[in-house]
Amino acid sequence: MTSRTVLRALLEPLLAGMLALLVLAVLLGASGYPVGEALTALWQGAFGSWSVIASGTLVRATPLLFAGLAVAVAFRAGILNIGAEGQLLIGAAAATAMAVNLPPGLGAAGLLLALGAGVLCGGAWAAIAAVLRLRFGVLEVISTIMLNVIALNITGLLVRGPLQEPTRTFPQSALIDQALRLPRVIPGTRLHAGVVLAVVTALVIGWFLRATAPGFRLRMTGANPHAAASTGRIDVARVTLLAFISSGAIAGLGGAVEVTGVTYALYENLSPGYGYTAIAVALLARLNPARAIGSAVIFGALEAGASAMQREAQVPAGMVGVVEACVILVLVASEWIGARAAAGGRLIRGGTPRSGPTSAPAT
Amino acid sequence: MTYRLKSGNFARFSTFSALLIGLSLAACGAPKSESVDTAAASTGTLRVALLTPGPVSDQAWNGGAFAGLQRIKDSLAARVSHIQTKTPAEFDENFRLYGEQGYSIVFGHGFEYQDAAKRVAPDFPKTMYVTTSGNTTGPNIAGLEFAFEDGAYLAGIVAGAATRSGTIGVIGGQEMPPVKRSFYAFEAGAKSVNPTIRVITSYIGNWDDASAGKEQALAQIGRGVDVIFQNADAAGLGVFQAARESKGVRIIGANSDQNSIAPEVVLGSVVIDLPHAFLLVAKEVQAGTFAPRVISLGMKTDVVRLVINPALRTTIPASALTAVDSVTKQLVAGTFSAPVPPITAVAK
Repeated sequence: MTSRTVLRALLEPLLAGMLALLVLAVLLGASGYPVGEALTALWQGAFGSWSVIASGTLVRATPLLFAGLAVAVAFRAGILNIGAEGQLLIGAAAATAMAVNLPPGLGAAGLLLALGAGVLCGGAWAAIAAVLRLRFGVLEVISTIMLNVIALNITGLLVRGPLQEPTRTFPQSALIDQALRLPRVIPGTRLHAGVVLAVVTALVIGWFLRATAPGFRLRMTGANPHAAASTGRIDVARVTLLAFISSGAIAGLGGAVEVTGVTYALYENLSPGYGYTAIAVALLARLNPARAIGSAVIFGALEAGASAMQREAQVPAGMVGVVEACVILVLVASEWIGARAAAGGRLIRGGTPRSGPTSAPAT
Repeated sequence: MTYRLKSGNFARFSTFSALLIGLSLAACGAPKSESVDTAAASTGTLRVALLTPGPVSDQAWNGGAFAGLQRIKDSLAARVSHIQTKTPAEFDENFRLYGEQGYSIVFGHGFEYQDAAKRVAPDFPKTMYVTTSGNTTGPNIAGLEFAFEDGAYLAGIVAGAATRSGTIGVIGGQEMPPVKRSFYAFEAGAKSVNPTIRVITSYIGNWDDASAGKEQALAQIGRGVDVIFQNADAAGLGVFQAARESKGVRIIGANSDQNSIAPEVVLGSVVIDLPHAFLLVAKEVQAGTFAPRVISLGMKTDVVRLVINPALRTTIPASALTAVDSVTKQLVAGTFSAPVPPITAVAK
């Protein structure tokens, strides 16, 4: 490693972070909000105490990590799955349906059944888009976005119909039984076992992609489906199908974890767009599962800190949304530019989502 | 190639650590503010927080609550904080954070905050959790209920008399119990003056998409509706737009005094005086006399009322105004109350 590379490795992220802060400060200042107070609140709300790190940042990072992994797996296989949002919602709905209908007394087995239902149904939801692509050549970018809207409305229908709470008054499901909830990792905080599950999932997927034959086939398919097919050893359609379903299953698990670990009931507005932020999470991590852990924590911190800007510095929610989006843009853009520079002008290694066999060439 | 991959890994690892370090440098020394907060709490400054489900710029449900928070700040020299929550996960999070910071009162502005209040309140016995439209109580949980349907019934009388087409509409944000109840009473009020009237109901599906609200209103207007009762907060602002652009359409506003939003089309507003209600709770908490309970407020306490837009008062038939006055008297006296849908009665 040359000294220049080291220097660049240290300087780039610092510059990116400072640029993000600068944009943030300018935006806040230009809109007439107290810059210092807002930035202090941002920090305090994300990392100010152990309590906010556990209850705020890490709790928020968990669904982002699951959904980010779902996006990363799909993108690595050359599938532009924009549907993590819908797959997450369907997973949440399935887990809730399972949890509120199980006979009491199952304990941990019941929790596993609920999480399993989320995994299965999240995968099944992605399978719809996978089959549409493989059979009919429907671009998954379009089908998954459409399926997100359908999933959102199915959730709305469920909480007003079959899954509505027993008094039939409020648009939400019954509360999930205490025994079927994910245990708290740190008592007195909201940090639940789902965060551990998410990190383990990330490490397992990282190992799978890096060190196993199916993982290699997946990466190969994503890098160049024609080359993969011409080896005669890789069934590109099958790999695509399985990768797409796995992606949905991971997002579905994220939804199941959210209802059993955080909200304890199904709500229509369960997700503030985790599945979309997840794309930024995955890109910032350059589609690497292990790096996605750090990336999800950054985004979780940003959201936790942004809500503190509302509480402590009276920055209104709309402005907070603008600020969040700008910081995401700066972070992802500088990552991307940095990556290109590091790769000597080439596009990033294995990370550029390539078009699949049935979709139009991207370039 | 291998060489590049390795350096890439290193670069990424550094990215995150350096970002974190960068952020921490930028905000260094910050953790001190917590001790300042505690000091403020011990010197007796009342600290009040508010969670709203939507933007406080809606000039309706959320705007009214924010005005309530400001009233508490001004009247009781309290320190206040507000947050707009986007997801149910944020209910617990913010309830807990405010509890940890030693706030005296935390308002959750909607029935949807009740489950979170039940979960969090036991951990923070010094904080009073108050949910509006909630009926949950506990050692430090209280509810604020409003007889909004009484005002909606009066609005129905006005709408029933003011319509020329015989078709009126109601537009809600989402199908929620308090909204359904208000529409039920509104319809009953309209039918009390015009038994053959047709009422068209629409829900926008959210509380903040003004253009979707406008679309729903235009669709209703296309079906012959000429008076619309809207209860959709920020999304409802689009309903006013639609009425302005259509001929002869009148609107009745909800939750806050919305007469000034579009004085040329608004007949009146069913107002909940949220500042009054919030101040009532805050005063009792400050005095240490607050007993956790469900506080029901309505016509009698003048917290719920129908405010007729003076600019359009003359366009409302005099008989309707007389009827509104006499029903108001009955509502205040308690000899009459607006009908509620049977399903809600069971749920309670």
